[in-house]
Amino acid sequence: MAKQKVLAFINVMGLSIGLACFSLFLLFAVYQFSFDRFQTNAADIYRVVEWWQGLPGREPGGEAYGGTPLGPAMKHDFADVENAVRIQTGFDEKFIRTDEKTIRSKVSFVDPEFFSVFSFKLIRGERNTLENPRSIVLTRERAMQLFGGTDVVGKRVDIKLEKNFEPFTVGAVVEDIPGNSSINFSILGSFGYLMTTDMGKESLNNWHMQIGCETYVHLRGGSTLVSQPARLAQFRNKYFPDEESELKKDGLWDGKKPYPASFRLQKLRDIHTNAHIEGMASTIDPKYIWILISIATGVLLIACINFTTLAIGRSAGRAREVGVRKVMGSGRRQLIWQFLAESLMLSIISAIISVFLASVTLPYFNAMADTNISFSFAQFPELAWMLLALTLLTGMLAGAYPALILSGFNPIQVLKSKIRLGGSNLFTKSLVTLQLVVSIALIISTIIILQQTKYMRSKDIGFNKENVVVVDAEGSDMDRNFQLFKRNLVAGGKITGVAGSEMGLGAGTGLMGSAFDYKGETKGIIMYPVDAGFLKVMGMKLIAGRDFDPTLSIDTVSSIIVNEAMLRDFNLTTGNAIGQQLTEKQFGTLKVLRVIIGVIRDFNYSSLNEKVRPQIFIQPASLHIRSLFLRIKSGEPSRALSSIEAAWKQLTPGLPFQYSFLDENIDRFYKAEARWSKIVGAAGFISIFLACLGLFGLASLAAVNRTKEIGIRKVLGAPVGSIIQLISKDFLKLVILALVIATPLVWYFMNRWLQGYAYRIDIGWWVFALTAILVLLIAFATVSFQAIRTALINPVTSLKSE
Amino acid sequence: MLELKAVSKWYNIGGNKTYILKDLDLVIREGEFVSIMGPSGSGKSTLLNIIGMLDDPSEGYHYFMGKAVHLLKEKQRSQLYKQHIGFVFQAYHLIDELTVYENIETPLIYQNVKSSERKAMVADILDRFQMVGKKDLFPSQLSGGQQQLVGIARALIASPRLLLADEPTGNLNSKQGEEIMDIFKKLNNDGVTIIQVTHSEKNASYGSHIINLLDGRIQPS
Repeated sequence: MAKQKVLAFINVMGLSIGLACFSLFLLFAVYQFSFDRFQTNAADIYRVVEWWQGLPGREPGGEAYGGTPLGPAMKHDFADVENAVRIQTGFDEKFIRTDEKTIRSKVSFVDPEFFSVFSFKLIRGERNTLENPRSIVLTRERAMQLFGGTDVVGKRVDIKLEKNFEPFTVGAVVEDIPGNSSINFSILGSFGYLMTTDMGKESLNNWHMQIGCETYVHLRGGSTLVSQPARLAQFRNKYFPDEESELKKDGLWDGKKPYPASFRLQKLRDIHTNAHIEGMASTIDPKYIWILISIATGVLLIACINFTTLAIGRSAGRAREVGVRKVMGSGRRQLIWQFLAESLMLSIISAIISVFLASVTLPYFNAMADTNISFSFAQFPELAWMLLALTLLTGMLAGAYPALILSGFNPIQVLKSKIRLGGSNLFTKSLVTLQLVVSIALIISTIIILQQTKYMRSKDIGFNKENVVVVDAEGSDMDRNFQLFKRNLVAGGKITGVAGSEMGLGAGTGLMGSAFDYKGETKGIIMYPVDAGFLKVMGMKLIAGRDFDPTLSIDTVSSIIVNEAMLRDFNLTTGNAIGQQLTEKQFGTLKVLRVIIGVIRDFNYSSLNEKVRPQIFIQPASLHIRSLFLRIKSGEPSRALSSIEAAWKQLTPGLPFQYSFLDENIDRFYKAEARWSKIVGAAGFISIFLACLGLFGLASLAAVNRTKEIGIRKVLGAPVGSIIQLISKDFLKLVILALVIATPLVWYFMNRWLQGYAYRIDIGWWVFALTAILVLLIAFATVSFQAIRTALINPVTSLKSE
Repeated sequence: MLELKAVSKWYNIGGNKTYILKDLDLVIREGEFVSIMGPSGSGKSTLLNIIGMLDDPSEGYHYFMGKAVHLLKEKQRSQLYKQHIGFVFQAYHLIDELTVYENIETPLIYQNVKSSERKAMVADILDRFQMVGKKDLFPSQLSGGQQQLVGIARALIASPRLLLADEPTGNLNSKQGEEIMDIFKKLNNDGVTIIQVTHSEKNASYGSHIINLLDGRIQPS
C-alpha cells in the first residue's frame, strides 16, 4: 500500500511540475500574442508599411518608416481612412528639465488624433491637448519622476530637442503603458511642434526623407482597403511618380515581374510577432515562441508518459480489484469510466498544484525570459480554458490506455493471478525511451548553447574591453572641454587614459557608413571619427603603419586607419596598404582624399552573430564627442568613478552623469543567448528530473513484479550484484537506445542553430559522451536504488506468497 | 550428511515468542530418502528452508557435510548450498521469461560454469528427461507435470548431493505425481539424498523413512 502512495505521489508531483512548466511557457506565448489587444480599435488600426519584394539579391522585407506627408495623404486620398496618426520617436534620449531637475528621456511626437485612435487611459487633462503645439503628455511614471505627482497639468517642462531648451506645458497625463503594447512612449509632444523644427521643416512635403516617423491609420468599419492592393499601388504611383523609371534605370526592375515596391497595411495586432518589418516596436520571431512551446510540450509529454506508464504499472496491483469488480457484475464501460475518472481526478489535483507552482516560480521565469508578465486569468482569459482543456486532455490521454487495458482483463485469469503487467511491454518501453530522448536532447542543447555563449564572451575581440568606463556625452560641451577634462582626470592618477568618439562602441548607438572609392571600386565602410588617443586607450593593436599623431595636422585632414576586413574588401595586404589613397564620397558631389596610415587588427564591435565589417578611423579636427571612453586602473572602479563624476560635474554642470562599463555593454549582445541557455537548461533539468521520477517508478514496479523471479534466482545461487545488474540492465538499455536516437537529432538541429553565428564553436563529440555518462549515471543511481532493495529481500519471503 | 542439534525457530509476535520449530534434533545420512509429514503449520517448510540454508534458525547447531553452517558467513553458506543442494518447489518456480533451456541453465551461470560446459550439461539433462524437443518453449507453454520436470532438471543440473522438495506433486494430478515420485526413487537409487515435504502417505511411502512434525517438534514414531 505504501508503494502505491509513493507512485501516486510521483504521478501527481511529476504531472504538476510538467503542467506548471507548460503553463509558464504558455503564459509567455499568450503574452506575446496578446500584444496591442487592449486597444479598443485594434481590429481597425493598421500601420502603413513600405514593402519591398523581388529586388535582386535581397530578401523580401518592409519598413514602417515613411515620409511625413504620408499620413495626411492617406487621410486625404482614401475615404475609408477615418484618422491617420503619425508617431515620430527620435533615436536619442533628450534632456528634459523642470525647475527641480534634469533627466534624459525619449520624446515622441504624434498627431493630435492619437488619443482618439489609441486607447491609452488619460488620468489628467484633455485628449485633444496635442492640438496645441506646445503641449506635452506625460506617462504616470514620467510625471512622478519629474514632479513627484500626477496633478501636473499646466506645469512647465523644458526640452532640448535641437540646440536649445524649448518651453512646453503639460497638457495631460496618461496611465503607464501596458507591457504588451507595441506603441511605447514616456513623453508625447505634438506633431505640429515637430514640423516647426529644422528637421520637421525639411521633411515637410518630402516623401523621401525619413525622420523615424511611423504612420498608423484607423479605417472606417467595413473598409476593404486592405484587400485592394491596386488602390494602394495607385496611391504610391501618385506620390512616387519617378520611382518606376528609376528602378528600371538602376536595373532593379525589368517591367515584367511584379512591381517590387508597395504600400501595405499591417494590422496593429500583427506588429509584435512580425519580425520581417522594421519599425520602432520590439518584435519577436514567432519561431521562438513555438520553440518554447515545443520545449514545454516535451516536458509535459514526459510528465504525461510518467503518468501513463505508472498507471499501467499500478494496474498489476489493481488487476485483482478489477477481477473482483467484474465478478460482481461491473461492466467494461463502467470500469473504463472508473479509471478515467480516477486519472482525471489526479490530473485536476495536479493542475491545481501546478497553478500554484507556476505563480510561485513566475518571478524567476520573468527574470530568465526578461519579461514582466503577471499570472492573471483576468488579463489572459484564454489561459483559463487552455489550462482546463489541457488538464482534461492530459487526464484522458494518460488514463485512456490503462483504462482500456485494465477493463479488458479476464476476471478468472486475474483472480488466478495469471496476468502480470510490469510496465515492461513494448508500449511502455517506447514511451520511456521517448522521454529519455527529449531529456537528453535538451541537456545536450543546453551544453552547446552555453559553450557558444562562453565562446563569444571570451573570444579575443581585438581590443581590451575590461576596465573601460563609457560616459554618455551626448548634448554636452565636451567638444570644447575635452582636453581639459582629460588633463584633470589623468592628473588624478586613477584614470590611465581618456578617449573621445562620435560613436559609442558596443553600446549600439547606431553606425555610420560612407562610400569609399578605391581604383574604381566603391564600397560602404563604417567610419569612426575619434580623437588621437582612441586606439591606444581602447587597446586596439596596430599591425602596420602608425597611430594618429596629434602634432601632425595632416592627420586631421586625410589620414585614415583601417582594419583588416577593409583590406580584404579592397584586396589589399598589410604589406602594401600603407600610403594607398581612397576617395570618400560625401554629400552630393563632394569628394575627400583619404590616405591609409595604419592598419589595426580586426575587432568585434557588435555581437559575434555578425562578421567583422570593414571599418575606418578618422581623426577630424572638429570632433563631435558623443561618447567618452575612460580606461581606469583595475580594482578600484568606485573611486575612479567618483573622480570621473566630479570632473564631469565641474565641466558640464546640470547634465546628468550617465556611464556604463564597456564589458557589460558587450555582454549585453549575448543576453539572448544567456536567456536561451537558461530557459533550455531549466527545461532540460526539469525534464531529466521528471524522466528519472518515471524511471524510479518503473524500476520499483519492475522490482515488485519480479520479486518472485528474483527470489528464484537467489535460491539458485544468484549473488546480489547479478540481481542489481538484472534489473538495471533493462533500463540502461533504454537509456542507451535514447542516446542513440537523440544524438543525430540534436547534432542536426544544433548545427543549424550554430549556422546563425558568424563565429561559432564546433560541436565536440565529448558533449555527447559527457551527456551519455551523466544520464547513464543518473539513471543507474535511480534504478539501482530499487534494485538493491529488491535484491536484499530474503527469497523465502518472496516465494511464500504463492 | 547433515545434522541439526537443538534447533529452534521463533518469531516475536506482540512481544511473545511464537515457536515454529522447537528444540529439534535431526540426523540425515547420505543416501537416505526422507519424507517430512505433518499438518499445515507444523513447521515442515521452515524445517526444509533451514536445511536448505535459505532461512536461519533462531538458535541451534547446523552441520552440513562436515561444516558448521551456523558459523558460516552468508557468502560461504550460499557457496555451500549452491554446490550441493538442489531445490524443487510445489509451484515449480520457473522463471516465466526464460525458455526451458535457459531455466535449466541458470544455476550453472551462478556457479560460473563455462558456456561450453553449460551447453553440454544442459543437453545431457534434457536428454535424460526426454525434453530435448521442448527446450525452446516457455514455462507457460508446458503442462504442470512438464513444468515440474523442468524444475527437477534444474535442481539436478549441478549434480547436487542433496535434493530438497517442498510438496513436489502438490499441484499435479495423480499420474503426473507418480511419474515425479518414480524419478525421485530412481535418483535416490543413484545416490542422491532426498528430503521431501509431503501430505501424501503414498508419496511418503517412496521414502526410506518418515519424520512426523507436530507443532514444531518431531513426533516419536
